[in-house]
Amino acid sequence: MVMSTVQTRRQEVEQLRREATIKREKLSKSMKEMLDFIREHEQEDCLLVGFSSQKSNPFREKNSCAIL
Amino acid sequence: MDGAVSETEHIERLAREAESLKIRLDDERQKLNDVTLSVVADRLEPISCINVKPRRVLKGHQAKVLCSDWSPDKRHIVSSSQDGKMIIWDAFTTNKEHAVTMPTTWVIACAYAPSGQLVACGTTYRRKRRRWARTRRTRPAAPPNSDQQVLTGSGDSTCALWDVESGQLLQNFHGHSDSVMSIDLAPSETGNTFVSGSCDKLVFIWDMRSGQCVQSFEGHESDVNSVRFHPSGDAVATGSDDATCRLFDLRADKEVASYTKESIIFGANAVDLSISGRLLFAGYNDYTVNVWDTLKCQRVALLYGHENRVSCLRVSPDGTALSTGSWDTTLRVWA
Repeated sequence: MVMSTVQTRRQEVEQLRREATIKREKLSKSMKEMLDFIREHEQEDCLLVGFSSQKSNPFREKNSCAIL
Repeated sequence: MDGAVSETEHIERLAREAESLKIRLDDERQKLNDVTLSVVADRLEPISCINVKPRRVLKGHQAKVLCSDWSPDKRHIVSSSQDGKMIIWDAFTTNKEHAVTMPTTWVIACAYAPSGQLVACGTTYRRKRRRWARTRRTRPAAPPNSDQQVLTGSGDSTCALWDVESGQLLQNFHGHSDSVMSIDLAPSETGNTFVSGSCDKLVFIWDMRSGQCVQSFEGHESDVNSVRFHPSGDAVATGSDDATCRLFDLRADKEVASYTKESIIFGANAVDLSISGRLLFAGYNDYTVNVWDTLKCQRVALLYGHENRVSCLRVSPDGTALSTGSWDTTLRVWA
């Protein structure tokens, strides 16, 4: 019981030590990059901006009649 | 007796060190917290109108749908159910192309391999199908475009990387203290990391090669049911039984957004992001799918259709469609 507590505590400390060493960036920088990523990809994001024409939507309903 | 005393001292010393490390970590994060998300989001145009409509209903399972995944061909869907079956659907035609019956009822997880030629499933059935037997959520794993490995998250609180061919365990991931509910691989080809969400309320980022947890995020007040990488690979979205979805930024090492409304009181079971990362789709126990603006933190749409809990949800690989699965036994495709 005691051993397992020591073990758990030691693991926790080791984990925290590892996390203390990671490189972090300012939130303003990482948020700006997320914003840039969204702007760069939003035109391809059909769920966000829709389809340029319904024909390019692979899940559109098939027309029930066709022009002959 | 002496031994016991020193053990106690040892524990106390470790506890003190843990405490001081936690304070140091909080300080570090606070120092970098130089902007609020709402200020950043003000630079974006509001989302005008989400025109996502129900397009297909996939009927065939006899019990709750528990998990689903899109094929890389953007057309087929694999789903697994409490009826013990895994079904491969043609989502264009709604035809069932294959049905696989497992020696169990709860097929709680399923996933396509990167090639689209194999599917993996996880069940509650132990031992016999050892390769995928202990899984809670499975997902074929790195290296990308390889079907050689499968990554699993388990009810025994561990994650594991397996060799598909030999069934051998390649790496074990210890750290969670309760069931792992969901895992997701980082999208980047170079990133050998994955994320896990657990009933211990925590979200961990793991290094696949070393087997070590490299980052952890706390904040959720109940089970974390679903985790998904942001398409940029620099953040993860989560859904929890605490009725919130959240966004954690890996580089700033902190929670940056919480998606919640007073009227939403039911847990979120499944989350996914649109391919730009602007939209977060979340399936809830109140049968709805909420669509959130990830940066403005506002709900922009509500998708009704399912007649029971929404248990799984996936944006198609090219971002054109959303599939949802429910305890009402159906899957639906929205586009």
